[in-house]
Amino acid sequence: MGKLKVALYWASSCGGCDIATLAIGDKILDLAAAAEIVFWPVAMDLKYKDVEQMAEQSIDACLFNGAIRHTEDEHVAKMLRAKSKTMIAYGSCAYEGCIPGLANLFSMESVLERVYIDTPSTDNQARGYPQAKVKVPEGDLELPRLHGTVRALHQIVDVDYFVPGCPPEPKTTWLALEALLTGTLPEKGSVISHSHKALCEECPLPKEGKKVKKFYRPHQIIPDAKKCLLDQGLLCYGIATRGGCGAMCPQAAMPCTGCYGPVGGVIDQGVHFLSALGSLIDSTDPEEIKRIADEIADPAGTFYRYSLPVSLLRRARTE
Amino acid sequence: MTKIMIDPITRLEGHGKIAIFLDQEGEVANAYLQIPELRGFEKFCEGRPAEDMPQIMQRICGVCPEAHHLASTKALDNLFRVEPTAAARKIRELLYSAFFVTDHTTHFYILAGPDFIMGPESPAAERNILGVIGKLGVELGKKVIQTRQQNHWVIQTIGGRGIHPVFGLPGGVSKAVSEEDRAKIEEIAAQAVDFGRMTLKIFEDLVLKNKEYLDMVLSDAYTHRTYYMGLVDENNRVNFYDGKVRIVDPKGKEFAKYAPREYLEHLTERVEPWT
Repeated sequence: MGKLKVALYWASSCGGCDIATLAIGDKILDLAAAAEIVFWPVAMDLKYKDVEQMAEQSIDACLFNGAIRHTEDEHVAKMLRAKSKTMIAYGSCAYEGCIPGLANLFSMESVLERVYIDTPSTDNQARGYPQAKVKVPEGDLELPRLHGTVRALHQIVDVDYFVPGCPPEPKTTWLALEALLTGTLPEKGSVISHSHKALCEECPLPKEGKKVKKFYRPHQIIPDAKKCLLDQGLLCYGIATRGGCGAMCPQAAMPCTGCYGPVGGVIDQGVHFLSALGSLIDSTDPEEIKRIADEIADPAGTFYRYSLPVSLLRRARTE
Repeated sequence: MTKIMIDPITRLEGHGKIAIFLDQEGEVANAYLQIPELRGFEKFCEGRPAEDMPQIMQRICGVCPEAHHLASTKALDNLFRVEPTAAARKIRELLYSAFFVTDHTTHFYILAGPDFIMGPESPAAERNILGVIGKLGVELGKKVIQTRQQNHWVIQTIGGRGIHPVFGLPGGVSKAVSEEDRAKIEEIAAQAVDFGRMTLKIFEDLVLKNKEYLDMVLSDAYTHRTYYMGLVDENNRVNFYDGKVRIVDPKGKEFAKYAPREYLEHLTERVEPWT
């Protein structure tokens, strides 16, 4: 059997997933021995036209990171899907939309207006935006068209596996790659992680399950770094987040923000967190409960930091 | 006119394509670097808590998240009008130093460097990290991997995570460095210096000592006369954590120098319809 043909691509993403792939350490040599990389913009000089010439189903697996923000993301996703036997949504953007998905709290028009006209450092009195087709003196230039709503990969093409994390930790990446290289991939549609239970289960900070009278923002208290952060009133998302990362953020005395997505079987991570929070508030008085809940500075951005595009809400109504 | 498209541009963080127009004689008439990408951080940060900015803004770039994380953390210092403690400042600078090692390793061995290491005549298929390991040997490849891994460990130990750290807070950091970790970091730092020296030697042997290659690099086609901007300390020496922004003209003469918070007096963004 020849080497496995593997493609890696980034759509609307930060490049952290590409660095995360390199972060598997020595195992990158195992990967290089077992697989031939046929496309990887961050590391290799292969172009879209090279991919266009590949036969359908000729790539064994594509690790696709990044959200679907515009027509080029969508076009490349569809092209790589057609050329690949196995499509893996790698990292939070492709899996659930992630940070770029926060743009779904706004209309596309207001995003454009802010970015290209209103920021204090922008001088754009003509109020012009970048255009999909532009005539310059030498000829024509094209840009992708932005979609009004940011989507995850499986909302555009059929996806075989999902790898969580912003970015996935090296051990999660290797779990997926090892399964790919040894032909032991799980059932189609699986999320690949060492755990599918809540992060709290693997977090070493002892949890007493305390109820709280007040929620704190991370800069408002110095928590006891040896105790559960949620018990101390910090909004740690570990109760509603899939484990498998190693719970490093709480161990650095910072709350989990939920980047490994929902626990197994849960559709909407934000709803799960919200319902868990309801049982945490130490009061039966509606007025007091409201006061405590109001201390959460940014419910939408906190509950859906990484998963708005795949949530039941998907986006804010902005008309 | 003939149009040549390079799409996508490769071996750097970020999306881009280049359109090159050739005139009837086959000479370059003009070239356009187009960025076909917009996520809208400027907008979707609105409504988010200020203290979340270090973690949100670093998603601009996952190759250099530490730079964005610390820039936002310093903005929080400014916003809350607090000075980080001396220890917190050192911890932040220590993380940045480890990042400096990982980032330059990424740049030299994986992104831009393969052009130099493999040489100007090498085929496109070899101008990458695998070609570099093939040319310089698996042992060198292992050293590159080890250096990156060790320094990502330092970033994770100090910052909470190896990629997209979480430790930045207004006025400080979320976590102290234990004596045991400090000693281990010191050891890793010494190895990183050795690794840096080895890397400079590779550059010297392959590029600076190759006359043909050096002549090409120094030729007019490869010389970019431009202004430069960077962060400097009070003696105008480079500083990656704090100081003033200094701009020099193509001849190296100082053009402007300002505190980061005065950026609006010196910088303006403009919008082109084609990017």
